[in-house]
Amino acid sequence: MANQNILIIGGGPAGIEAAKGVAAMGFKAILVEKRDRLGGTPDEAQYAALTPDLRDAETALNEMKAPLDGNPNVEVMYNTLVTEASGSVGDFTIKALQMGKEVEIKAGAVIVSTGFTHFDPGRETQKYGYYEFDDVITLTDAEKMLKAHNFVRPSNGEKPKRVCFIQCVGSRDRRLGNEYCSKVCCGMASKQAIEIRQLLPDCKVFIFYIDMRMYGYWENEIYWPAQEKHKVNYVKGMATEIVRSGDRLLVKGEDTTLRRPMEIPMDMVILSVGMEPSEGTKQVAQIFGLKQNKYGFIETLGGPLDTVSTSVPGVFAAGACTGPADLEDSVSMGGLAAMKAMIALRQAEAVPA
Amino acid sequence: MPIDKNQIVEKDKAIVDGVELSAEWNRFFEQRVVFDYDTSALDKVTEIEGAESMGWCYQCGQCVPVCPVDNVGEYGPRKIYRNLQLGIDLLESPDLWKCTTCMNCLRVCPKEVDMIKIMPAVRAEAVMEGQVPEELQEAFENTFEYGNPLGESQRKRADWVKEAGVEVPIMKEIKRPVDVLWFVECYPAYHARGKEASAALAKILNLLKVDFGILGTEEKCSCDSQRLAGEEGLFEEFAEHNIGLFNKYKFNKIMVTDPHALNAFKKEYPKLGAEFEVEHYTTFLAPFIEQLDFKNTLNYKVTFHDPCYLGRHNGEFEAPRKLIEAIPGVELIEMPRCKQQSYCCGGGGGGMWLDGFMADYVTERLSENRVREAVATGADVLVVCCPYEVSRFEDAVKSTGNEGKLLVKDIVELLAESLF
Repeated sequence: MANQNILIIGGGPAGIEAAKGVAAMGFKAILVEKRDRLGGTPDEAQYAALTPDLRDAETALNEMKAPLDGNPNVEVMYNTLVTEASGSVGDFTIKALQMGKEVEIKAGAVIVSTGFTHFDPGRETQKYGYYEFDDVITLTDAEKMLKAHNFVRPSNGEKPKRVCFIQCVGSRDRRLGNEYCSKVCCGMASKQAIEIRQLLPDCKVFIFYIDMRMYGYWENEIYWPAQEKHKVNYVKGMATEIVRSGDRLLVKGEDTTLRRPMEIPMDMVILSVGMEPSEGTKQVAQIFGLKQNKYGFIETLGGPLDTVSTSVPGVFAAGACTGPADLEDSVSMGGLAAMKAMIALRQAEAVPA
Repeated sequence: MPIDKNQIVEKDKAIVDGVELSAEWNRFFEQRVVFDYDTSALDKVTEIEGAESMGWCYQCGQCVPVCPVDNVGEYGPRKIYRNLQLGIDLLESPDLWKCTTCMNCLRVCPKEVDMIKIMPAVRAEAVMEGQVPEELQEAFENTFEYGNPLGESQRKRADWVKEAGVEVPIMKEIKRPVDVLWFVECYPAYHARGKEASAALAKILNLLKVDFGILGTEEKCSCDSQRLAGEEGLFEEFAEHNIGLFNKYKFNKIMVTDPHALNAFKKEYPKLGAEFEVEHYTTFLAPFIEQLDFKNTLNYKVTFHDPCYLGRHNGEFEAPRKLIEAIPGVELIEMPRCKQQSYCCGGGGGGMWLDGFMADYVTERLSENRVREAVATGADVLVVCCPYEVSRFEDAVKSTGNEGKLLVKDIVELLAESLF
């Protein structure tokens, strides 16, 4: 008889959605989370507002995870890291460290939702000086400041008069090995640009870009309002490098439609950093022997028609552990992985051992 | 060559040692690096009521290839936006006066950047500041003083009637209601070629036994082009005058000769509380086509120029064609740019009174560009139905060396030629 537990590794949006689905269908969801709370990167990185609807991130996440509280079909294991796995579909045995103590978990199927990490712009030091200039920050840094409603220059604590975003930092880059588009940064930058304009109406905000990739409703829900209502300035041409100019930053690049170089003074520069697989994603992939792509993300095998099945039967992957994903992708994949995991259990049951 | 550092700015042209260089050349004499984006220029425009959508451009560039001014110069809404983003003040730029409000850009713009609202709104600011090209100012002053941009006497506005050869009832004199109030407008009342078309139309109305009347010396310019050129005040004053006349006389509908008047009466006068049924003479005449007894076969190959303010602005493409095709012996050959895609004669939005000004910015007049297209179809006659066009295209036929190859005729002239 197949084990009726479904193990979900990673308590971000994809994992929460999967756990909710599994529990609602009467299976047991064991949700393992390395931190002491759920919410994943949106919580850990202290997102201010969700993209694209600008809903308060904390409220939205609390609402999302509320059905897990006191749910008899859900067991959440905090501060827990998966270390070993054995067995096969219908009968996995997983070892984990919970607060330093080894525990064993039995499950019939596994959902991996271990997410991504933001690109570290330190690898671009020569170009953008992230570790050199206090006023060069990332989307993640900016998000924290916006959440605290205190958007100031880290160098002197003053409100900036001019801020720019530089798109595609760490993405679409063969040299860095990240040829893919990180999918969400255009929307994130535009969303933050709106928030900055709302918080500091006198601050001019620029976005330097190669292509604005505002797919689907993000076009009309973020990009158009940013330009039309909030007067964010979009300039085609990505900045090449940043140099110091007195107590300001000089952003150098090409204004490509003008076909001329630009050297624009800024008080703050926000690097629109992309996505890379998280450490947890890489570790869990190895533990379960899941095939990874050249970037380290977990490979799903069904192409566009099956976005959650991995190379190991009974193990499914959801969210940004499979590649750049927005919240919409992650939550949709979480639900699909839950369904596929339950189907796998039923099928394992039907086959005589 | 010494470089005058004061000259290091973006210029539309530069004169170096007496030689005039266009922007492409003069770029090399300027600093290359862009040191700032002064957003105040864009803010200044988008803060003007009616001009908000100037800030919506996302630089797709679809407007540029269909902009008739860019076809002969360097223009287009995308470029205007870009210059604003670079801090160039539109109110002080010649670009403010180049748009003919032909609406071809709005037709293709995915963001609905509406130059038809932007241009009059921003120009109105420039008019208030007194920054208007001289020849346009003269047309404004003529309109204000004489009731028409040509500067002709108001008392002579109905003089063409004497040469019409048929009865043209004048409302003030007949003192009775009519079915159709014919709003003649300025060029058909004063311009030599306009008067010929008016006479032809009068003959056809008589032939059809239409019960009509004109306003004669009481009529004043509809002022739609002056409005689009930025003279909102003048427009309102004249609109009130004309609306006063419309209220004074009894009639069932208004027929206009000029598509610009059509546009004003259909879209602008209602905002001032004046709702009247109005139609262009081509849509008025088209239903009568079966009743017309054509006597002469014309043997013309013709092509037809859609007026911007009849076609794109007010959606009428079929009535003129129906009339043309009904004339015996006339073969209609369309130009590549026709109907929605039609090119512009250059006369709209104040362009009628800016030819001298525009000469500095274009390689040829819009009308010349259009005449060359018409000639290329192999047509003998370029048929028009907007009073701006006859004079513009006849000049262009001469200046492009096509005299004798192409005639320019109003539809009513062609109809009359076959009917009488």
